[in-house]
Amino acid sequence: MTSGLDMLTPLADLIGSGALAAPPAGEKAAGAVHGDIGAWVMAIPFLPLLGSLLCVLCAIFKVKSKLPAWITVAGLAGAFVAAFVMFQQTTGADGGSQWAVAKAFDWINFQWGSEGQALVANFSFYVDSLTCLWMLFVTGLATLIALYASEYMSHDKGPGYCRFFFAFNLFVFSMACLVMGDNLLLLFLGWEGVGLCSYLLIGYFYKKESAVAAAKKAFIMNRIGDLGLSLGVMLTFVHFGTLEYAQLFHDPEMFPKYLALAQAGDFASIPWQVELIPILLAVGAFGKSAQFPLYVWLPDAMEGPTPVSALIHAATMVTAGVYLVARFLPVFAANQAALGLVILIGAFTALLSATIAMRQYDIKRIMAYSTVSQLGYMFVGVAVLAPSGGAFHVFTHAFFKATLFLCCGAVMHGFAGQLDLRKLSGVMSMKGWLIVSLAMLVGCLNLAGVPFTAGYFSKDMILAESFVNGHAIAGWVLLITAGLTAYYTFRVFFRVFVGPTHAEPGEDLHPHEGESMEEAKANFHAHAPGWAINLVLGILLVGSILVAFLYPMHWADDMIATSTAGGIGAGDHTGTVLGMDPHKVMYYVSAVFGVTGILIAAFLHGPKGLWSLGIGNRSEAETSRADALVPKVGPVAHLAERKWLVDELYHATIAMPLRVIAHISHALDRLLVDGLVNLFGWLPRLFGRTIRPAQNGLLHSYAIRMVGGVGVVVLLVVLVTLL
Amino acid sequence: MLVDIATMAQGDFPEPMTGLTLMHYLMTSGLLFALGLVGFVTRRNLIIMFLCTELMFQAAGIALIAFSRFHLNHTGETFVIFVLTIAAAEAALALALVVLLFRRKETLDASSWAELRG
Amino acid sequence: MEAISNPILLYGACALVGVGIGVALPRKGRNPQVLGALVAAVGLGGLFLWAGIASQGALPNYHFYLFSAIALGGGLRMITHPRPVYAALYFILTILASSGLYVILSAEFMAFALIIVYAGAILITYLFVLMLSTQAPTEEETDALSPYDRFAREPGAATFVGFILIAGLTSLMVTGAPGLDSASAGAAETREGYLERLPGKVERAMQRTEGEDGEMLIARSDEVVSVDASDRTALVRNTDGAERTVPLPADLSLRNVEGVGFELLYAKPGAIEIAGIILLMAMLGAVVLARKKVEMDEEAKLAMAGGDA
Repeated sequence: MTSGLDMLTPLADLIGSGALAAPPAGEKAAGAVHGDIGAWVMAIPFLPLLGSLLCVLCAIFKVKSKLPAWITVAGLAGAFVAAFVMFQQTTGADGGSQWAVAKAFDWINFQWGSEGQALVANFSFYVDSLTCLWMLFVTGLATLIALYASEYMSHDKGPGYCRFFFAFNLFVFSMACLVMGDNLLLLFLGWEGVGLCSYLLIGYFYKKESAVAAAKKAFIMNRIGDLGLSLGVMLTFVHFGTLEYAQLFHDPEMFPKYLALAQAGDFASIPWQVELIPILLAVGAFGKSAQFPLYVWLPDAMEGPTPVSALIHAATMVTAGVYLVARFLPVFAANQAALGLVILIGAFTALLSATIAMRQYDIKRIMAYSTVSQLGYMFVGVAVLAPSGGAFHVFTHAFFKATLFLCCGAVMHGFAGQLDLRKLSGVMSMKGWLIVSLAMLVGCLNLAGVPFTAGYFSKDMILAESFVNGHAIAGWVLLITAGLTAYYTFRVFFRVFVGPTHAEPGEDLHPHEGESMEEAKANFHAHAPGWAINLVLGILLVGSILVAFLYPMHWADDMIATSTAGGIGAGDHTGTVLGMDPHKVMYYVSAVFGVTGILIAAFLHGPKGLWSLGIGNRSEAETSRADALVPKVGPVAHLAERKWLVDELYHATIAMPLRVIAHISHALDRLLVDGLVNLFGWLPRLFGRTIRPAQNGLLHSYAIRMVGGVGVVVLLVVLVTLL
Repeated sequence: MLVDIATMAQGDFPEPMTGLTLMHYLMTSGLLFALGLVGFVTRRNLIIMFLCTELMFQAAGIALIAFSRFHLNHTGETFVIFVLTIAAAEAALALALVVLLFRRKETLDASSWAELRG
Repeated sequence: MEAISNPILLYGACALVGVGIGVALPRKGRNPQVLGALVAAVGLGGLFLWAGIASQGALPNYHFYLFSAIALGGGLRMITHPRPVYAALYFILTILASSGLYVILSAEFMAFALIIVYAGAILITYLFVLMLSTQAPTEEETDALSPYDRFAREPGAATFVGFILIAGLTSLMVTGAPGLDSASAGAAETREGYLERLPGKVERAMQRTEGEDGEMLIARSDEVVSVDASDRTALVRNTDGAERTVPLPADLSLRNVEGVGFELLYAKPGAIEIAGIILLMAMLGAVVLARKKVEMDEEAKLAMAGGDA
């Protein structure tokens, strides 16, 4: 890279060069950034971009080996190292707010008018602790999942393999643009880029109809959200006249001014544009992060390969919405209604999708609904002005949900695409599945919020803060959701990983030669995961446990405090839970909910024996005590299994009217537009058909017409001369 | 029968001819022309159609000679020479074509040569 | 003149001619050709009657009516006769009659040229082609004729168009021709000017013409030096070299063939050259077109080559 790319510009330099009108005030001043880390910053987005280009080259040269995977793993590992260096250099010892802008090159730079109006959106990166936090887990998980995918996708070596890793790399590049971009346009570029990659990877098995439909569904659903985001970006530019974070967040006339007004309770002085921006941004965030009205694409997105589900649709891309809210928390904080909207939607989505997850049988789908549910948590977390809790939950969730998905993927890979929890049982006791099962157990413990796991701590932060900040209803909803989460999580674990050994192959089973489908099913042997999957799962297993130790270190608090979201939490609220200080009592309350959920799951789904604490009695894969309960709760269970008919509702209220309109338009098009066009085409044809007999090739008819013409001329002359 | 040419020719040559006398010749010429035209249109035999064109040439020739006499100069007559030339050339070429066509289809019906129809 | 203003006779006669032509045209079923011819003849008579009434005092001599009737009758028979050979013969009749008309119009040279070229050359070509391309049936077997010879096509429409043409052309001639000015004497003088280029002709005529005194105008030994056509005198030189002016004979005038010759070769020499080239081209074209390709196989070619060798 050229030296121009690694120019890291602290704000002090920007002020010196007159790029900013006024210096930011007080403690928001740029802290010193240690060393020259521009090259490292540049490496994070551009190494994956280079990787994707190399994958294209691989596709051109028809590489049939695992080369694209190794290129990807190497590039992403480099990006992770760079992200770690950036993190090291950015979070200094002095604890002040530190940020820097590293410019790669000029991208968009329009200037007009006499008053210096300009639309500046450079390809440059805004580095602060929030960026670092996100990029750490994005690059780290991407590296691990690429390694995992090198084995997982190995049955598809060739053009498909190159295509997969091309999109994978491009996704990481886009995600880096989204998270690191120093302006809203670059964020938008990344936002659309990850949407594109998501589309490409969901539709990876493009010969499968359901995959194509899911890809389209994801894309279209995201468009609705993107409309909100783009309107928000435009409104930001129209109102503030700039899109650059360096000004938006640090110019005292911009976000800080309104944040101060909001913190002083003077909401009346905030113009409506500033109040509208967060709502528009929230719409975008809901689309990308699969929140209530727009969540239906995410479960369907599980049609993509499992590494994609793990990376994009569980760990990273879907947290972009949370990132957006966290990044723009100053402007969200200026509008109580926007915060309330986010809390409402987040809590509702968390509960809704948890109930759906309880009644699903496809383990990947359960994990998908769980992801939607946990994203709801994160939104509530940031929206109750506890961004550190939300961000920490994003961080821990990324680890354990990736773990869970990769375990599901390993199961799917090993059992020929089998994902139905009624057809699998006792995987842990099969040969070669121990690491997968242990990783699954750790992931489940995290997700269920069992005490002293990372998920427990991060969830507690959100729960406690929602009570503290006066959102008790949301807190209770989330507590109930935590119990449901524990139940459905361990429902999967108890049914699939422990109990009597049973395995039916899935639909990807291909009989060997001279073997019928029934024989192939009878002869089926699970295909235990190889070294790459085991290695990745092992790392994640350990990582998911170790992440928990970040909590006592108050790592997330520190990270958020030094970012643009720092110092926003409303300190003077003192809500309580059961009359006690939420910060202290929440450890116990949430633990009670989580453990209760696990116990119910053990009772209803656990097999006999020690693994289910001695209270389960399941003896076969297909049935459990829960089946007896279903008729007693009436239509609720059925509705939950049918996902509360949301898809059907959308179909009836949106798709059907649209289809009717489309049919009407089609009819109009055919009758009116086509008719008009056809009429214009038909008239000359009619004319031609009328006069065509004239050209019959018969000498006589030409002659007689010629003579007739002469006769007409003669008549005319006669008339003219005689009259 | 020996006819006194001077008697037939309206008296001595320089004697002027009135327009009313001219009208008779022109009328004959027009009738001949119309006959040729009607024949060209109605007959289907290619050779007779060409004969009809010759008839129309003839009608033109009578008109030219009559005008020549009326104007007391020879321009009309020289034009008849050229009409004869053209008629001869046309007869040669057209009849060659007719022979060619007849060899190909064994018919002289003009209607059987209509393949150029669009 | 009142007939012009009241042209019922004129247009009725035109209509009669048209109807006669239409009736006489060959068609399927009954074919009253004689009736058609009679009707047409009555119409023609009506036309000429009208013209005669209209131009009293300026009638053409009776030969005109004779030759016109023959020419038009031949033409009618030509276009109605089912047999092509007879049609060609009737066309010759028309040619002969029109050459008579030419003679009446003082165009003797063109009359003879017409007979020689048309009746003699062109029509013979037609007859050859007719012989080449039709099977001549016997007299009685009209059914053996080709259908395209037996039936006219669209006689009704053709007759109507023909009537329109006849009526239109007639009305134009009726309105146009009487209004034309007769050629002035000046035009004749211009033509007489060619005499100045023919001193030999003048000399011969003067040597044979008696003067008022009973003597020949000039002696056989005299020589005409030049002719002045404007005051009709000639400059004559006798053997002694003495020159005198002698008036031209009163009946000396340019003959038709001389007038045409001067007009063609003196006034329009380029046009006659072009006409010659056109005729040459037509001959070449006819030869090329009508040539029959002789297909020879290899053996025949070899035999020919061997024969040559």
